[in-house]
Amino acid sequence: MSELLDGMRQSWGLLAGSRSGVAVIAARTVLISGAATILAVLIGVPSGYAIARTRFRGRTLVLGFINTAMGMPPVVVGLVVWLLLVRSGPLGYLDLIYTRGAMVIAQFLIATPIVVGFTVASLQALPPRLPDLLAVLGAGRLRTIWLLAREAKLGLLVAVMAGFGGIISEVGASMTVGGNLERSTRVLTTAIVTETSRGEVERALALGVLLLALSFAVNLTLTVIQQRRRA
Amino acid sequence: MDVRVEGLRFDRDGRVVLDIRSLLLRGDRTTAILGPNGAGKTTLLRLIAGLEPATAGRVLIGDTVVRPRQRPDVAFVFQENVFLSQSVRENLELGLRLRRVPKHERGVRTDEAARLLGIRELLDRRADRLSGGEGRRVSLARAVCLRARVALLDEPLGGLDPATYARLLDELPRLLGAFGSTTVIVTHDHREALRLAQDVVVIVDGRVRAAGTKDEVVSNPGAAVVAEILGYTVIECDGHKAGVRPEALRPGPGPAQFRMTVDHLIDLVDHQEVVGSIGSVRIRVPLPRGLPAPKPGEAFLLHADRTCSLD
Amino acid sequence: MGGIVRGLCCVFAVVSALTTAAHARPQNAIVLATTTSTQDSGLLDVLVPRFEKESGIEVKVIAVGTGAALRMASTGDADVVLVHAPDAEKKYVGDGDLVEGRPVMHNDFVIVGPPEDPAGVRGSKAIAEAMKAIAARAGFISRGDDSGTHKQELALWAAAGVDPRSLAKREETGQGMGATLNVADQKRAYALTDRGTYLALRKRLGLTIAFEGDPTLLNIYHVYVVNPAKHKNIRIEGARAFVAFLVSPVIQQVIGDFKRQEYGQSLFFPDALPRRQ
Repeated sequence: MSELLDGMRQSWGLLAGSRSGVAVIAARTVLISGAATILAVLIGVPSGYAIARTRFRGRTLVLGFINTAMGMPPVVVGLVVWLLLVRSGPLGYLDLIYTRGAMVIAQFLIATPIVVGFTVASLQALPPRLPDLLAVLGAGRLRTIWLLAREAKLGLLVAVMAGFGGIISEVGASMTVGGNLERSTRVLTTAIVTETSRGEVERALALGVLLLALSFAVNLTLTVIQQRRRA
Repeated sequence: MDVRVEGLRFDRDGRVVLDIRSLLLRGDRTTAILGPNGAGKTTLLRLIAGLEPATAGRVLIGDTVVRPRQRPDVAFVFQENVFLSQSVRENLELGLRLRRVPKHERGVRTDEAARLLGIRELLDRRADRLSGGEGRRVSLARAVCLRARVALLDEPLGGLDPATYARLLDELPRLLGAFGSTTVIVTHDHREALRLAQDVVVIVDGRVRAAGTKDEVVSNPGAAVVAEILGYTVIECDGHKAGVRPEALRPGPGPAQFRMTVDHLIDLVDHQEVVGSIGSVRIRVPLPRGLPAPKPGEAFLLHADRTCSLD
Repeated sequence: MGGIVRGLCCVFAVVSALTTAAHARPQNAIVLATTTSTQDSGLLDVLVPRFEKESGIEVKVIAVGTGAALRMASTGDADVVLVHAPDAEKKYVGDGDLVEGRPVMHNDFVIVGPPEDPAGVRGSKAIAEAMKAIAARAGFISRGDDSGTHKQELALWAAAGVDPRSLAKREETGQGMGATLNVADQKRAYALTDRGTYLALRKRLGLTIAFEGDPTLLNIYHVYVVNPAKHKNIRIEGARAFVAFLVSPVIQQVIGDFKRQEYGQSLFFPDALPRRQ
């Protein structure tokens, strides 16, 4: 217990002094997961829109697949990406294994089903006649997409946050495809694993506190926006 | 501006939902489309609005063929209240903005529609948080301010509480004047249809079974199924069917008379009601004071001033 | 009211019984803190079940970096420690956390690298020369996890007069030996590894031995019991029994024979018995 308290106290010291690259690791974490989230949103939101708004053969199958993928263990995604990117793998020529690029790819693959799933859910929660209304009022295709997105913006925000939250706190895939290299691919979660196995409990805790603070900031932003909408 | 339907067919999942060889909805008049649930009334409205692609045939508004996604000049009031989560004013103006109506003109039209429907005090409220009745008025106002040449109203009085229903039913004829256009109302209630429209179209199972002015259609419904939709009680006597308005049945003999088997009587203080049946049809007839009351099981003679003979 | 109080008392009694049960360590179980490399070689999978069967004492193996293993001794969270970082061990022996130390066995470290040997390490006469060649011409992947292997690597850099922090192409994985060898393989870089892990993974890796045989590359394992006079609740009998088991002639023979058939060479050389000349 006293170790825990010591850890908390020391974590502030470590963060405040920004000793030995904690700030660098945090910034890198946000950059990698942020890039993966942006890509996941660019692909996932339009896909989610298409799935929510159109009827096609195999749609239920696609939705089932997405729901499964939303709960897929990240470390399995990491393993598959690792097998693709290693030198002997089919994409080995890209020379991406153990780079930030590899981490962005893996995190993108983890976040995209989450973004798609939440996008579909938020669009399906809109009044079913809304697209018809916009059509008879004279909205064109792009205008309709824009207005529907604006109506579903809270749900879409949740989609983005859920995607980001899912990958910033993920450790398995980042460790596997990034290699936890201290100067290029070490992020908060993998750093925590390393510090813990090193026995550097204080540093591990400091990083844990930082990770918690980051996801708290993200969730607080979301909650504030939600509450303002309700007021 | 006339709306013409030519050889229109619409299939869903391999089933024919609507099949209309030819139909004319006359300009600057109100037409009620009447039919049971699932007859294809709403589908017809959606095809006129270009919300669904026809399987075959076409719809013309004036000389213009309606094509999906081409913004026909129609106003549509949906069965459900649907709004963007914005103020009422923004919702009213959305259609005008999409039609590039100038800002000043938008304000004028919105205020006019709001005054007409008595919703001026709602203009700054959030549209997605209105009560059912308020929402209905805003939906109607949104259609009014478009000043479209064709207005399509899908069950405009559906799902309202009785008081709101009664008030809107009184106001609607005056509002339809404000649309100043060809108006088409879908309803399953013949009383609404007769109150609101000049022309009536009866659709059963996706086919037009009667069309014309309401006088023409009501005085000569033709088929028993059409007569029933128009509110007639269909009675079989002497081997042929006749349509009778239930309120036109009176005790006693007359030129058109029917024999009813009495089931029981109900005391309604100022008069009694005789409940019974003619064949398989249930009948209720008021019995004025002073007339001898029939006993259950007895035959009781009725007549009607007006009947129509059916195929 | 009385019923509620009685009910709460029942719940409290059950909960406290459960938590006590969960916290109490069985008298005949010991905690062994050791390094991941010991665990990874598979040697403990042979030794521990045999010890448990012979003594009736359960062994909970906690495999962590050497640093963490030693730390567990200093906080009294382990009963017995099997480690291979003699210099680091000295401090804990000096502080009185570790007592009754015995040498158990040794294996050795090797430098592995890409088969084409881009740094030209293969001709080196001594380890310092090899390390300088790597520093000058190639990448190096470090465990960076405070393990015995990591400490050995830092000592090698120091002996060669190279500051590892100054090397642009040296990276730390913060992971175990297997993961670190994977990275070295993919990055076409050199790495320091214990021979056992390298032999076990050799088939999948494109790495070959670039340098071996220097006396400083010996990896010596000691076993200690955690000082019961300094820490509470140390299972001293079980700990001593485990030490006695490891240094017994029969088990020393088992250690020497471990995987010799499979790899065609010994992974570990027993050290507890007087060397036969």
